[in-house]
Amino acid sequence: MPGGDFHPVYFSIVAAWILVAGIGVVASRSVVRAAVSMVLCFLGVAFAFALLNSALLAIVQILIYVGAISVVIIFGIMLTETPAGPRQQFFNRQSVIAAPLVVATAVLVAVILVSGDLLTAGETAVNPGLRQLSSLLFNRYVLPFELVSLVLLAAMIGAIVLARREDRQ
Amino acid sequence: MNAVEWYFVLAALLFCIGAYGVLARRNLIIVVMSLELMLNAVNLALVAVANFVPAAAGRGTLFVLFVITIAAAEVTVGLAIIIANYRNRRTVQADEYHDMKG
Repeated sequence: MPGGDFHPVYFSIVAAWILVAGIGVVASRSVVRAAVSMVLCFLGVAFAFALLNSALLAIVQILIYVGAISVVIIFGIMLTETPAGPRQQFFNRQSVIAAPLVVATAVLVAVILVSGDLLTAGETAVNPGLRQLSSLLFNRYVLPFELVSLVLLAAMIGAIVLARREDRQ
Repeated sequence: MNAVEWYFVLAALLFCIGAYGVLARRNLIIVVMSLELMLNAVNLALVAVANFVPAAAGRGTLFVLFVITIAAAEVTVGLAIIIANYRNRRTVQADEYHDMKG
């Protein structure tokens, strides 16, 4: 895809893909089916990143979301179990209130975002390139980069400590 | 409508689908999945801005990289908590955690 400008046809295909898969996550009764929809939704977002001219983020999205996070969530499904039953067992009591609230929020956010003046936004893409990105990451943003590694370490240790089976005797 | 605004609308819709999942589903694992949808929606908006707004060119991409990293950490810790709770109570349904008062 040269350029990375706005392609209405590709955009509508990817948008439909993402939204259908997203609804699949929220609406499906089976947890496994929801997980498969989630993987499809992540893939759709990766396609959107590719359409938006960031091949790097598309690859990272597939590696981390489609690869790692999905596997972790599927492990979570494997280690727990959910009873089968009628619809009331899948949606809680506030779901009736949540639906109009969420629709209202969607409309509000979309209207605000669209009516905001992003005057500098053009139809053509600006592509910083991998070299510029990495120099930005390792010079100006090197402190957050290091902090993120600490966060990952803390999360790893925390997850091990939390999920470990405790044998007290 | 502007190109970036189409992506904003898509991101808003995906965000709200995820928000509905967080609010309305009982299964905690599906709640975590919906949280991931919301994070993905925000990432989508950020990448759209990084692509179409010259002033945000490199920074949007870097911000998304950080968000993805933190999201990975969040999923591991969240699922560990869910599994630790499941071991004690034998359920992952959010409504059944009602003995945590006081």
